[in-house]
Amino acid sequence: MSEKADIHDYLAELEDIPGTRIYTAKRARQGYHLNQFAMSLMKAENRELWKADEAAYLDRWPMSDEQKLAVRARDYNRLLDLGGNIYFLAKVFSTDGLSFVQAVSTMTGMSVEAYQAMMNAGGRSPDGIRSLKDAH
Amino acid sequence: MARISAGIATSHVPLLGVAVDQDKTSDPYFEPIFAGYEWTKRWEAERQPDVILLVYNDHASAFDANIIPTFAIGTGEQFKPADEGWGPRAVPDVFGHPDLAWHIAQSLILDEFDMTIINQMDVDHGLTVPLSMMFGTPAAWPAKVIPLAVNVVTYPVPSGNRCWMLGEAIRRAVESFPEALDVQIWGTGGMSHQLQGQRAGLINAAWDNRFMDSLIGDSEAARYIPHIEYLRETGSEGIEMVMWLIMRGALGPRTRLLHRHYHVPCSNTAIGHLVLEPG
Repeated sequence: MSEKADIHDYLAELEDIPGTRIYTAKRARQGYHLNQFAMSLMKAENRELWKADEAAYLDRWPMSDEQKLAVRARDYNRLLDLGGNIYFLAKVFSTDGLSFVQAVSTMTGMSVEAYQAMMNAGGRSPDGIRSLKDAH
Repeated sequence: MARISAGIATSHVPLLGVAVDQDKTSDPYFEPIFAGYEWTKRWEAERQPDVILLVYNDHASAFDANIIPTFAIGTGEQFKPADEGWGPRAVPDVFGHPDLAWHIAQSLILDEFDMTIINQMDVDHGLTVPLSMMFGTPAAWPAKVIPLAVNVVTYPVPSGNRCWMLGEAIRRAVESFPEALDVQIWGTGGMSHQLQGQRAGLINAAWDNRFMDSLIGDSEAARYIPHIEYLRETGSEGIEMVMWLIMRGALGPRTRLLHRHYHVPCSNTAIGHLVLEPG
């Protein structure tokens, strides 16, 4: 029961969850500078520089143009696709003054109000969205 | 001899810290959440533990993408609340217990758990929110706190079984410390939540409650739950529940339930809370 998992099987399973990007080494490598940029916003002086000129601030980081565009657009699903991790990206939306609920709801295609109503009604059921290859 | 007297499990949602800091704990949204911690606050005030070994995960606060320790123990004298993007929480600094922390670190390494040792770091909501839930708003935290940070962000994170084994090794470490100290171990994070993608907002109350059931008594079933089950059933951030297994492993072969609480929602998350005793 505790024998070592096969790394290839383990990683393949992580990709089998609908609407989810598990932060694997592949994503961590792709998103390294994006996440380090986001991390820099933990310092008040960096937040001031960022707010004053987002484009100039982003140009200080060796990020791809796609990553920079997605940050400017606050397109969090795109940022997850490009290697972003939500705990790092949280520094960006916190700097914008958004709560986790406000920011997270933007990734679901729902309005904040509809998302909050869903949470207040007990949240999203896992039924039917556990697996891509085997819907259950 | 030091001993582990109790274990606590709790979610550590940042919004709970906001509610405490802005004095909103009696608002209709928060009241049912905080009501479930009242028993524990009174119990903690009576117990007055000397040290809390607080298992949590850093949310890209002390550790960035550069250095990713799987298990890290804080051996410093003092830890400041982290600035997570909106300024540090206005809560007291956390005072460590370097003698016990270093003893545990050494004992764990001899026990083949190769810990990362951290002398200086800021502690984020993962650590300070549980303190607020259990102690309210004192001028100083009433116990010393040893932070034990677990990587549950970058995969692979440690297996549930490895976490349980670390808990067992922590018990051996604490029991070999010569000073008579009352030590509690807290496992934090969880329960169901997914903070990313189209599947965000996932909650599985039935699974969460089965998981809590499995930590009471002598069952060892929880240590063998694979990562993929946490992720499919409780959302991508539900994986934080492996940290509860460090607490459970440290309580020994059998536990007794003192208090239990579950509530949905808090922000994007299901709140779960257990108070357990060994035996």
